Amino acid sequence: MSIPTNPKIENEKMKIVWKKTKRAKIVPINDRVVKVYVWELPVRIFHWINALSIFLLMITGIFIGRPFVSAAIQEEAYYSYLMGWARYIHFFVAFIFTINLGVRWYWVYKGNEHATSNPFRLSFWKETLETIKYYLFMKNKKKHYIGHNPLAQLSYWIFIGMGSIIMMLTGYYLLFEPQPESIYGKMFMWVAYLFGGNSFSVRSWHHLVAWGFMIFTVVHVYMAFREDYLQRNGTMSSIFTGYKIERNSDEHDQ
Amino acid sequence: MERKTIFETVLDYGLTRRDFLKMCTALAATIGLDFAETNKVVAAMEKSPRVPVIWLQFQDCTGCSESFIRSTHPKVESVLFQMISLEYTEALSAASGYQIEEARKHVMENYRGEYILAVEGSLPTDDAFLTVGGTSARETFIEAAKGAKAIIAYGSCSSWGGIPAAYPNPTNAKPITHFVNDKPVILVPGCPPIAEVMTGVIAHIITFGTIPELDHLGRPKAFYRHRIHDKCNRRAYFDAGLFAESFDDEGARQGYCLYKVGCKGPTTYNACAEMRWNGGVSYPIQSGNPCIGCSEKGFWDNGPFYVRRAKIPASQTTINPETIGAVAVGVTAAGVAAHAAITALKKKAHEEEE
Ligand code: SF4
Ligand code: SF4
Repeated sequence: MSIPTNPKIENEKMKIVWKKTKRAKIVPINDRVVKVYVWELPVRIFHWINALSIFLLMITGIFIGRPFVSAAIQEEAYYSYLMGWARYIHFFVAFIFTINLGVRWYWVYKGNEHATSNPFRLSFWKETLETIKYYLFMKNKKKHYIGHNPLAQLSYWIFIGMGSIIMMLTGYYLLFEPQPESIYGKMFMWVAYLFGGNSFSVRSWHHLVAWGFMIFTVVHVYMAFREDYLQRNGTMSSIFTGYKIERNSDEHDQ
Repeated sequence: MERKTIFETVLDYGLTRRDFLKMCTALAATIGLDFAETNKVVAAMEKSPRVPVIWLQFQDCTGCSESFIRSTHPKVESVLFQMISLEYTEALSAASGYQIEEARKHVMENYRGEYILAVEGSLPTDDAFLTVGGTSARETFIEAAKGAKAIIAYGSCSSWGGIPAAYPNPTNAKPITHFVNDKPVILVPGCPPIAEVMTGVIAHIITFGTIPELDHLGRPKAFYRHRIHDKCNRRAYFDAGLFAESFDDEGARQGYCLYKVGCKGPTTYNACAEMRWNGGVSYPIQSGNPCIGCSEKGFWDNGPFYVRRAKIPASQTTINPETIGAVAVGVTAAGVAAHAAITALKKKAHEEEE
């Protein structure tokens, strides 16, 4: 099957893209406009499961850290299991979060050019700087990106990449620490050395990074709406359909 | 040199074999053995001579010694007079000055590789802060450690640095593990540790001739493998979601969980909830006070006793993560709103230009 491609898009200097080979599918709509299949199905599914997991983990997590409501039936512990449920949901969703992320890491290899990026290149950081200037309303040479701009990519590496790893390691450590003899307990024992040596500091990391996720979410949602508002390229609908609209012309790069 | 066994010593004290067996049974229970394994303890106590112990005190408060002498199972008398021979201790020795220092040297020479070194308190890295009789604490420790069969770090100070190492740590205090690496060190943290845990560790060494099984942080598994929170008598209230909000509310009277008045039980590993204190009478949470996490590393810097906080990594600063987090998200939202406003204005201006 020959996919009609736009020579401009084909030749674009996508240096920050890690895999030059796995091009995103492009579907022409008319002479002037094409649809680019940016977010493949697994990426979209990952996104929504991840979003829902973070939402549930955050609510139950805050409750576990600082129980904001008490059980309705007072006096006897027998009748309620509020904290028990909060913890149960938190742990259950944590496993879903992990499996989901595992699939996404697999998709880093399997997916198209927009499924990952390469921050180990000088151009990545130069373009990040231009993007920062752009967001600070300064004069800049920010390119047009079909997928994420490098600043966005960086934020994913930091929060969804690093942040998730920290949350999973510290979280599973705290979950399994009381069973040091179990296989899971042994698997995560070393985590303590990485995060301050005791239960308390591991827990501190878990709490602080959780709020990092909240800040990320606020900025992420805003940026998505803003992009949609400025570019009118279907950024918002793209996370449902996978497609973004691009101009099929040479002005493209400005 | 022929030394009397523990059994013989017991008989010397005018006790019967029955008393001896009772002592062994209590010991077996304390060190976490099966009842069926009691005979191992009996056999060991019949064969082994009393173990010489040197007890050194450095930057400490003697709280650990105080706790030790309140051991009830086994009774401290039987530990002190029959199981071990406490050759040197600043708090309990009758002798003092050159006389006792001589005794210490004597033990170190004659029982090389046999004596147990118990250490209470942390060591400063700068000798100026702790030099006794012209010898720095560090040297005293290293010298005594050389010939020891095993080293027991009693208390949070010798195990983690404890209170002397609390922020701002003026003496740059370090745990004893910082100064020795060729000897097994058993960490028995707690401020102070439970008396029966302290004697239990020694009893284990006598019985099996080896150090007890240690966890990943170097603490005996028998006593530190369980989290206070998982053995707590108030845990049912925690799971139910019933919390005392202050020390004088109805919840406190009902015996609700003390989580919201700062209980550190969920991050503390110790035997309090099982063995309890003062011969099994009670322990802080049972008596209505939240756990302060005294056996955990850096417990003094883990925030106020009656508030639960989070520590900013690599610092001594603790914050309330939920409050700070909510504020940070608020600030971010405000920033986002401002950015959105500017974006909209710019876009308008741009469109008008065109
Ligand atoms: S651990 Fe606690 S009780 Fe023991 S010497 Fe240190 S401060 Fe005192
Ligand atoms: S009182 Fe403390 S240790 Fe006990 S259940 Fe509540 S939080 Fe856990």
